[in-house]
Amino acid sequence: MTVITRRTVLAGAAATAVGAANVPAPARADDQADMDAFLDISFALTGIAKDKLAPFLDPVDIRQVYFDQARHNPKFNDLLKIWRGPPQATNASVFFDQPDAEIRYLARNIIIAWYLGAWCDPADLAANPPPDPLPYTILSPAAYTQGWAWRVAQAHPMGYSELRFGYWSNQPFALSLLIGGV
Amino acid sequence: MCADRTFDVVIVGSGIAGALIAKKLGLAGRKVLILEAGAKMPPDINGYMQRFYSSNAKVPESPYTPELFTEGKLTNPGTVNAGRPTVLTLKPHDENKFQFGDWKDPNQAYLIQKDSTLPFASTYERINGGTVRHGLGTSLRFVPKDFEMQTRYGRFVDWPLRYDTGPADTRLRGWYEEAEKEIGVSADVKDQEYLGITFDHPYPMPAIPLSLVDTTIAAGISGMKRDDAELKVRSTPAGRNSQPYQDRRVCAGNTNCIPICPIQAKYDPSVTLAAALRTGNVEIWYRTVACDVVVGENNRVSEIKYLQYDDDTGPRTNAGSVSAKVYVVAAHAIETPRLLLMSMDRKGVANSTGLVGKNLMDHPLYLAWALMPEGKPIFPYRGPLSTAGIEDLRDGAFRRERAAFRIEIGNEGWNFPIGDPYTTTLDFINGLNRSRLNDGPKPQALFGADLAKKLNGVLTRQFRLGFLVEQSPEESNRVTLSAEFTDRLGLARPKIAYNLSEYTKKGMAEAKAVASAIFERLGATEFTKEKKDDPTQFEWPTGSGQLIKYYGSGHIVGTYRMGTDKSNSVVNADQRSWDHDNLYLVGSGTFPTVATANPTLTLAALTLRTAEKIEKALN
Repeated sequence: MTVITRRTVLAGAAATAVGAANVPAPARADDQADMDAFLDISFALTGIAKDKLAPFLDPVDIRQVYFDQARHNPKFNDLLKIWRGPPQATNASVFFDQPDAEIRYLARNIIIAWYLGAWCDPADLAANPPPDPLPYTILSPAAYTQGWAWRVAQAHPMGYSELRFGYWSNQPFALSLLIGGV
Repeated sequence: MCADRTFDVVIVGSGIAGALIAKKLGLAGRKVLILEAGAKMPPDINGYMQRFYSSNAKVPESPYTPELFTEGKLTNPGTVNAGRPTVLTLKPHDENKFQFGDWKDPNQAYLIQKDSTLPFASTYERINGGTVRHGLGTSLRFVPKDFEMQTRYGRFVDWPLRYDTGPADTRLRGWYEEAEKEIGVSADVKDQEYLGITFDHPYPMPAIPLSLVDTTIAAGISGMKRDDAELKVRSTPAGRNSQPYQDRRVCAGNTNCIPICPIQAKYDPSVTLAAALRTGNVEIWYRTVACDVVVGENNRVSEIKYLQYDDDTGPRTNAGSVSAKVYVVAAHAIETPRLLLMSMDRKGVANSTGLVGKNLMDHPLYLAWALMPEGKPIFPYRGPLSTAGIEDLRDGAFRRERAAFRIEIGNEGWNFPIGDPYTTTLDFINGLNRSRLNDGPKPQALFGADLAKKLNGVLTRQFRLGFLVEQSPEESNRVTLSAEFTDRLGLARPKIAYNLSEYTKKGMAEAKAVASAIFERLGATEFTKEKKDDPTQFEWPTGSGQLIKYYGSGHIVGTYRMGTDKSNSVVNADQRSWDHDNLYLVGSGTFPTVATANPTLTLAALTLRTAEKIEKALN
């Protein structure tokens, strides 16, 4: 319960602090199908199980932040169409085989969002070579705390531990337990 | 506020030194006023945390105010009432064009370093609680010989105090114990008895457990020797709770001590400041910038003038002065000399020796990073930022020739050196190789399970070592006043001249050699690399073309040193000005030498001793 309380507090704070991100109005009920497709795509792109990305009991609801960020992109509907087919895609390689670079960059940005809570300017991704260091924008305080890069490292975002005193002396949880079967 | 009120004591600065004195004197019933240049202490740290979480650049200054950025650019320090440096302004200089973070650009960098040989790389805060807010929490004692560099090694100067020898009044060991209680230090005596350090009592709390990074390195270097010393991994005394203490929580290993502990299990001076305010005898005026220490009859300080503002970049809203029996300047080792030098129409205060602002020191930090062999994860990004170190090279006969150092073991992978996990993650998503971990014939752009497995494989094997190198005191490394550049209040900004001596550079070179030897012993692949255009590096050996990069440790020291007499120092062992007997200058600016320990515990011990002296003087 402690975890849920803490997450809820952070999510609430994020709602007021998200000004830096370009977030449209909340999703409508008829967006549900698009959200489902977005989560399927997200799993394919990240390698992290769908029920880990968006658990049934999810007070943070970070999926909505990323969904809103992605659908603001003019290529979002194209991304959904490519995924839905026919034929229905099962592997995210379908995005990276596209001749339209904007679709490839959108797919990469969706991975960046889930892993780092961040978003890159597609123009930077398109540059040859991209700027060094590659600039990004943290989408919201809550997005930072939900970054999967740390969990993939069998750790936690810096500044957001859900673990207890001394855990660092012990072996971490198995990767499969954290991100689903890989 | 009433400008003509008088107090027993006026303190400039609410950092750890100011807060400790305020608490002690407040408990003794003295009426104390603190003038704090920066923003008010908030009721909780949620605002700082939200600023940190949303920052793209999670630098030590990122949770705090004033804002680092204005409309996407670094805030011009000339527009800020109480400015501060940031590590974002240590980027290369170009005379002919704008460069983000140019270290010599006064429109980006608060410290004026236009004429400096090398950049001074450490930063500080001007906010309630001061710079220790963004500190790591490491609470090491000095080793006894650190106080006797001249006597033991013919180098620099001795302190007027000793660890546990000489007259009782000059021994610091008992004050270390007091400081450890105030801060709440977790450590085991058995692990800290080395190089002559002795104890009378246990620490307030047991040690913070070692991380898997620590134990892996400890096993790997077992039996390793350097300069006749056997290298051992020891737990690091830390101002972090291993048990509930001072009504604060136990450390949960957030891996975020710098810049902020989200649960305040790490001590920060707001703890002491709040206790001071609870005495009912301490008052604090925020956004109040002391600008003139006025000397009156009998060479005694008679008042301190101040300026006030409401908004960080808004206009001045008030000016006034306050009087007291005793004055304490606790504004850290750059703002304290700045205030002294600008006082009395820039004639200066407490500066009959001309030493104010001189002997600026830091621990130039050598950072080295490596990757454990494939299949041998070390599991970083877990636990406090650092839980152990190698202390055996903090002292030795080699100090006659070159700087000593301590080795800090990091638990945060390659976050410090390359900003990971961001850099490596972005590499493997976008087919880049800035981390040098994606180094096949063509960098891979991965997704799905391949991405997760690859990142797990590399991120879990990262580790780094930080070497805190003892910098020699040099009068040419100094803080003066800029003749050209002011802050929003019209006050001259600090001008810095800085370089590293041969003695210090030799210590850095030895640090580099020891790092490589440790990595080799562990079978790890070293990735330490300098960048050609980085201003914070030097060529070594001279003429070789090889570069050694240094970082700031945030340990700003030495600019109003203590000493045995008026000819060699600014203050005496009690941190009382030789020139003005009701003026005390506290904080790490009084250290005659920097030694190798993180300075907070020693400056706290000195401050507690001084608080007792002030109380006696008031009687």
